[in-house]
Amino acid sequence: MTTTRVGLTGALASEALEPLTKLLRAMADDELILGYWDSEWTGIAPILEEDVAMSSLAQDEIGHARAYLGLLADLVDGDADALAYDRDVDELRHCRLLDHPRADWAATIARRFLYDEADAVRLAALAGSSYRPLAELVAKIRREEVYHRLHADAWLRRLAGSPGEARARLEAAWTALLPDAATVFTSLSGEETLVEAGVIGAPMAELEERWRAAIRPTCRELGLAVPGPATDPGRGRDDHGPAVAWLWNEATIVRRLDPEAEW
Amino acid sequence: MTDPFALEPILAPGRGGALHFNDDSLHGDFRHDAFEAHVTSGGKVEATDWMPDEYRASVLRFVEMHANSELMGVLPEREWLLRAPTLKRKLALTAKVQDEVGHAQLLYRVAEDLGKPREAMYDDLLAGKTKFHNVFHYPTRSWGDVGIIAWLVDAAAIVAQQALRDSSYAPYARTMRKICWEESVHIMHGRDVVVTLVNGTAAQFAMVQEALDRWWGPLMQMHGPRSPREKDRDLHWRIKAKTSEELRQEFLGIYVPRIRELGLVLPDPELRYDEEASAWRYTEPDWDELRTVVTNHGPMSQERLAFRRLQRAGTAWVRETILGAPAAAA
Amino acid sequence: MTAPRTTEPFSRLEPWEVFRQEKDGDPMVHGGSVMAPDAELALHYAREMYGRRGESIRLWVVRRADVIVLEDPDLLQPPLDRSFKKPGGYVMREKLSVARARAGAPKRTATDR
Repeated sequence: MTTTRVGLTGALASEALEPLTKLLRAMADDELILGYWDSEWTGIAPILEEDVAMSSLAQDEIGHARAYLGLLADLVDGDADALAYDRDVDELRHCRLLDHPRADWAATIARRFLYDEADAVRLAALAGSSYRPLAELVAKIRREEVYHRLHADAWLRRLAGSPGEARARLEAAWTALLPDAATVFTSLSGEETLVEAGVIGAPMAELEERWRAAIRPTCRELGLAVPGPATDPGRGRDDHGPAVAWLWNEATIVRRLDPEAEW
Repeated sequence: MTDPFALEPILAPGRGGALHFNDDSLHGDFRHDAFEAHVTSGGKVEATDWMPDEYRASVLRFVEMHANSELMGVLPEREWLLRAPTLKRKLALTAKVQDEVGHAQLLYRVAEDLGKPREAMYDDLLAGKTKFHNVFHYPTRSWGDVGIIAWLVDAAAIVAQQALRDSSYAPYARTMRKICWEESVHIMHGRDVVVTLVNGTAAQFAMVQEALDRWWGPLMQMHGPRSPREKDRDLHWRIKAKTSEELRQEFLGIYVPRIRELGLVLPDPELRYDEEASAWRYTEPDWDELRTVVTNHGPMSQERLAFRRLQRAGTAWVRETILGAPAAAA
Repeated sequence: MTAPRTTEPFSRLEPWEVFRQEKDGDPMVHGGSVMAPDAELALHYAREMYGRRGESIRLWVVRRADVIVLEDPDLLQPPLDRSFKKPGGYVMREKLSVARARAGAPKRTATDR
């Protein structure tokens, strides 16, 4: 595979390369792991029509991961599948919010809402990226995300507004997810360089604040706690735990039979 | 041209909404005969038309089994969703399984519009009162199974489905046309997986050959035992158009050459085309096995039904939420 | 999507008919139906069942209960002659031949008006 430095002209400082690969890796892994968890609903969702909907959302996430991995592959001279799968679980760089398994419908919806709203803030900060391939990709992804956010919002309101078991499950899921919700905005080493180079519009800490402000009205309206800072924020993309270990084993079990083979 | 002052009802030459059996004032036997004449001469039936009980029950049974099969058919492939070895395969397999769920939706809708609620159909399926196709009662053991199922099981299904595109029951016929269009992509995906394995390492070739060895028997049973055309009521009502044997012969004619050209060996030494008889000859499928399996005594029947019961129970609260269960009244 | 949100209690799952337009200029064509409790989810599901592959550029979604059906043959296929309303009611070949022969005109070509 040839290395193409499209967009990485003299205008983009070469010291931005390393943090950029970290950013792409983080975003790719976020989308990949979320897509994997939510694809588990395929065939077993609560209603047939909703089954089809959730599967589309999961496929979109995997598609986004594939696209980010494509950009990463161009930068590091690799292959998207190898970059995705030929790793141990401790090399995964998704955020801890996505370490939680799919669990029940309330947990899935709660996590999708928290993640998609965070991702929207992150994508907005990349919309004018000086790294053109990323800016172009982000423009497309933001259009797909409109549908995702409509779905998450619609279901969050439905669950929050249904007294009894629905509300109880939502609150339990919300409580479990809250300490990890802000890990989407875990600081990346070298991110100041990305900001200076114009790759991203603001550092993660600032994006985290924008996210909090964006979801505060909905949280207040629905009587749900606004997420605070993540616990152990420095390790927001490490220490993935047994659920992801199980998932990653499944995800690589066929490929590991022969990673060099064509599948 | 029809005499507008004629007092005797006359069967209309074409459709045009002038289906006399829809006239509620008509005598039952006359309605039945008019309906039968309409259907056996190629006429179509909509959900809101009057139907003899036998026709309604036959269509419902046919569609319900098809819907159940799509729903249960999701389960063997679902096991491999997480395990797909490349991003492209992951997307393709997820989309394929999603389509099967979509087909279940389309078919349950057709059955619902005939008068049976979806929950009642799930109740009957999970209680073992209604059936689903034999192939979905078997285990999957390797990535090779994923290719064989997506290619050959879907191919056998599409042969049957194409023959249903002109069913007398129009909502079903229209659904079949949509499903056939969507299934053609699945078959390409399945064949791509198989060809990739065949072209791969010795271990990969062996994997797909081994899967084929296990799936050939159920595939040969899939269209059902031979039965005489004259005795088949579903054929009489034009719900379906071809016999089991016609479908099997069609499947063999298209797919045996395509399997053999890859260097894969079919595990039936008797399988050959008889030029004189213009028919494929084969070892008689094990019809006892078929009977055992479709009555839910197959290797995975009970486990898969139990899995479905569990999932259904676990998500009942969601359905109650969107339906506003009485306890939720504010 | 612009459907209003509904949070009615005791909502029921009911069929919603979906019409789709495949490409610019095409008519809206009936695709099928989805079960949904309200317009918001009906739109989501219509998009999934009839648009997830990008096969539609527009969808109309309407409650089946709101569709008014006309299938009365007396209104739609009345028995008296109405051929004057259709092109097939005007067969002129013989008359034209007679008229041309009478006028002695050469056979008309495609460029004649």
